[in-house]
Amino acid sequence: MEYLPEFDLLRPNTVDEALSLRRERPDARFLAGGTDLIVNIRRGIAEPGTVIDLTGIAEIRRIARQDDGGLKIGAAVTLAELLERPELTDEYQALREAAAEVAASSHREVATVGGNLCLDTRCLYYNQSEWWRSANAYCLKHRGEVCHVAPSGKHCFAAFSGDLAPAIMALGGTAEIAGPDGRRTAPLGEIYQDDGAAHLRLADGEMISAVQLPAAGTWQSGYAKARVRAAIDFPLAGTAIALRTDGRALEDIRVALTGTNSCPILIAGTDRLLGEAVGEEMAEQLVAMLPKQIQPMSSTFTPPGYRRKVVANLARSLFQRLIEAP
Amino acid sequence: MSTPDKKPMVGRRAPLVDGVEKVSGRAKYTADLDHRGALVGRILRSPHSHAELLSVDVSKARALPGVIAVITGDDCDKPYGILPIAQNEYPLARERVRYRGEPVAAVAAVDEKTAEEALRLIRPEVRELPAYYEAGKARQPGAVDLHDDRPGNLEREIHHEFGEVDAGLSAADVVREETYDCAEVTHVHMEPHAALADYDAERDRITLHSVTQVPFYVHLRVAQCLDMDESRIRVIKPFIGGGFGARTETLNFEIVACLLARAAKGKVRMKLSREETALTHRGRPRTRIKLKIGMTREGKLTACACEVEQTGGAYGGYGIVTILYAGALLNAIYDIPAVRYDGYRVYTNTPACGAMRGHGTVDVRHAFECLLDTMATELGLDPFQVRRLNLLEAPTRTINDLVVESYGLPECLDWIEAVSGWKARKGGLPPGKGLGLACSHYVSGAAKPVHWTGEPHAVVNLKLDFDGGITILTGAADIGQGSSTILAQVVGEVLGLDFDRLTVIANDSRITPKDNGSYSSRVTFMVGNAALQAAERLKAVLVAAAARKLEAEPEDIECLGETYRVAGGQDSGISFKDVVSEALVDTGTITVKGTFTVPREYQGGKFRGAGVGPSMAYSYSATAAEVTVDEVTGRVTVDKVWVAHDCGFAINPLSVEGQVQGAVWMGLGQALSEETRYVAGLPVGPNILDYRVPTIVESPDIEVKIVESLDPGGPFGAKEASEGALSSILPAIANAVHDAMGVRLTETPLTPDRVMAALVKQARSAKPADARGAA
Repeated sequence: MEYLPEFDLLRPNTVDEALSLRRERPDARFLAGGTDLIVNIRRGIAEPGTVIDLTGIAEIRRIARQDDGGLKIGAAVTLAELLERPELTDEYQALREAAAEVAASSHREVATVGGNLCLDTRCLYYNQSEWWRSANAYCLKHRGEVCHVAPSGKHCFAAFSGDLAPAIMALGGTAEIAGPDGRRTAPLGEIYQDDGAAHLRLADGEMISAVQLPAAGTWQSGYAKARVRAAIDFPLAGTAIALRTDGRALEDIRVALTGTNSCPILIAGTDRLLGEAVGEEMAEQLVAMLPKQIQPMSSTFTPPGYRRKVVANLARSLFQRLIEAP
Repeated sequence: MSTPDKKPMVGRRAPLVDGVEKVSGRAKYTADLDHRGALVGRILRSPHSHAELLSVDVSKARALPGVIAVITGDDCDKPYGILPIAQNEYPLARERVRYRGEPVAAVAAVDEKTAEEALRLIRPEVRELPAYYEAGKARQPGAVDLHDDRPGNLEREIHHEFGEVDAGLSAADVVREETYDCAEVTHVHMEPHAALADYDAERDRITLHSVTQVPFYVHLRVAQCLDMDESRIRVIKPFIGGGFGARTETLNFEIVACLLARAAKGKVRMKLSREETALTHRGRPRTRIKLKIGMTREGKLTACACEVEQTGGAYGGYGIVTILYAGALLNAIYDIPAVRYDGYRVYTNTPACGAMRGHGTVDVRHAFECLLDTMATELGLDPFQVRRLNLLEAPTRTINDLVVESYGLPECLDWIEAVSGWKARKGGLPPGKGLGLACSHYVSGAAKPVHWTGEPHAVVNLKLDFDGGITILTGAADIGQGSSTILAQVVGEVLGLDFDRLTVIANDSRITPKDNGSYSSRVTFMVGNAALQAAERLKAVLVAAAARKLEAEPEDIECLGETYRVAGGQDSGISFKDVVSEALVDTGTITVKGTFTVPREYQGGKFRGAGVGPSMAYSYSATAAEVTVDEVTGRVTVDKVWVAHDCGFAINPLSVEGQVQGAVWMGLGQALSEETRYVAGLPVGPNILDYRVPTIVESPDIEVKIVESLDPGGPFGAKEASEGALSSILPAIANAVHDAMGVRLTETPLTPDRVMAALVKQARSAKPADARGAA
């Protein structure tokens, strides 16, 4: 355990209070479960002078059924709380499977939905101690000049490693964002960009307050994750798929990936498959779309070639599972 | 052995004597000890892999308010190391740094923040040298030597041949050679390193609490490096959260804590982070094994030639012992008429390797059991049949002078074969599933101690006083393996007493007798035998007292533990307390001593290097593993492990089972997911997220069978019960993966990426026309 520096800890009771504290303190960071941020603070890669704990805000700790049949999930809902909800099993299987595969059971007791969506990107040159990084002249993402993954460029390739984002994107979910200028909503994918050093497109002082899932209707969904151990590990790659069929032909599909880039990737071009008969051939067509849209780099202990291969295998087998589902 | 109306103490499934403290949280580990008034000790570590250390400017750090002491290599010019012949390490680097993470300076300050700031103010000036992270690179002509007295960066080169190897290979029907590459692994004991050093400036004495497995060796090296008389030093081992070999030598932070305490004239507490613990390392080296085996058509071994190269890291440590074990333990498990061994221990610019559970033998055993399996498959022979054809017959002396007195391997094989349903199931499992078998063995204590002083191998004192309680005083370090419990059971068995009369005090150099420590699985065998002798001597004292009291001859006295009586008489006898009162008359407190020395005939042959490998007894294991290989992810899941372990006699079957299960988990990690890796000498995963120890989710169902071969030299017939099984786990899993996939992976660990690469390669060679590949 490395030395934890001092910081002010504030515990607001409302979102507005949290936002105004954040405005007053430019050095502040929002904290929910702390399973990502506290580790990063101990390592010196996050150095907030103030930490604003959001877990006391009742309005973002709720899960509520919406009038349109959808579901609104507060950002500070823990993964363990989320997993207790029957709606996930019955309607949003991808989210249930993704949440159940985050870290380990003890982490899920405190880790939150918003925290997983805002998870910092990860890289073996970044998630190291101060001593380690200084011995390696730091890196582009934090204090340094060079990306050790791709030293010739000026781009950070730290990998997005959240499990929930691809599931929510496949399910067509939107993020509710609270900020100094009020509240807005956006398709979840729009809050990300493929830059390891700045993957979140949230304005200064903004936070995700909730996610909204549309009514599940006849959508089938699932999530499949590759990792070395069956617990604790971040995804080396993950695939979420949601689809609708009429029993024979594909009516709609959304495929989103994690672990391959600096942000979750919603696979483009799947509309080509609509109306076609589902089956093995379609699985191969789908898999063929992936390579050009992903870019795993040597940012993890496990080599990128494996992540490229496994994400395709996961997509193929998950697609098969969903079309074979009753 | 036990009295008829009493539950025996040995063979009892007894919970550990210190279990209550551990599960209730009352146990005090080093970091929990009273550190009021202690300064915070921190180490500055080299960012360079290999460099001349020109100067270390500490003036700014010294000037920082709140900094009490700053020390560098200038404060200690005495090199140390576990082996008297390979002491080439300084607690703080002098003149040269040889790996990233090597301690360069240290500070004692009033708090963490000040200590941290002080470290930032220290400016080492260096001139960089070429660095080598792999044995092959360090051995290349022209490479700069890490140590001037070791040209070519060879710490030790070994060439042993026993029997006629070339003739044996010529006589074989089949000769196969394969090269295996086993990744470096590290121990990941739960408790990170910590030390608390208290210097008494008025009396020039020091008390060190540390996380060690070897308090005696720590004592010696602290005295040496601080240039203090040994009598001025006291070493205490509190509760320890595991060791697995990481703590079987004196580690730099232990000496640094003492140097700091003396410089600060006070108390210094050091708590190393998980990363620093990983950098301190002493794990199993990356090992490349080129193995050649000759076999007859029927499966009889004719000869074996083995070349081993270990990437040893920057300092000597146990390196010479590791490379010797790797060769010596090719023997004493199967009957091989001829064995050639060429070993190369190489210095590299990485943290020093050392002893790790199954010291030296694990990777070589993996290679051997895998090649045996490959050859059996090729010859169409059953793996059980091949092993049975090559069994030893105990007692025997091997070609390299190892003495095997007891040998339960045949029984281990029989049980494994039956419970795994081998005959019915092997070859008939569904696609992606496989069964594998492997065997292994290990020493029950190194017959030759590290320091050859002529002292016994083990000493145990027993104290009995007016209160009727027996205190067992031992220097054997209980590090979680349960040695204190075993000693209590041995003493209790001899005296017919239960745990409530027994207290074990372990590891305080002022109180307990010297012990060499917990390594080479020596404690149950050696210290157990010393405890047995001590208890017998105490019993003789008590029997004599009872005889006086009962006015009988000592040989007529029957000891029933809580009662002593005249054998065969009608009298109900006298109580233990009365016997004790009688025994104390004229003498007062009774102290007896038991010792144990390994007889000369077990201490090995006369050739150079013969001192490593000999033991009075060897444990034997056979393991079958059942696995599933997932073609989608390349992940291997171990579904079931059956392991039979011959521990001679289980003094505590519960504890033996726990140790064997632990061996399965540790083996599982090395087989499937654990590896250290370095980028330019920086460890990639010096934390327990990226260094992937299996979790309980990965744990297969484990079935343990205890086989009791009753070794003639062991206490009650007992042998070691922890290290031996480990070596069979890796190859059993690898052989099962081979069975499931039809492909042999020669690198460990069998991570998903390696398995996937093998699956892709297999698919390509099966369908060369298919440009897309498969799987």
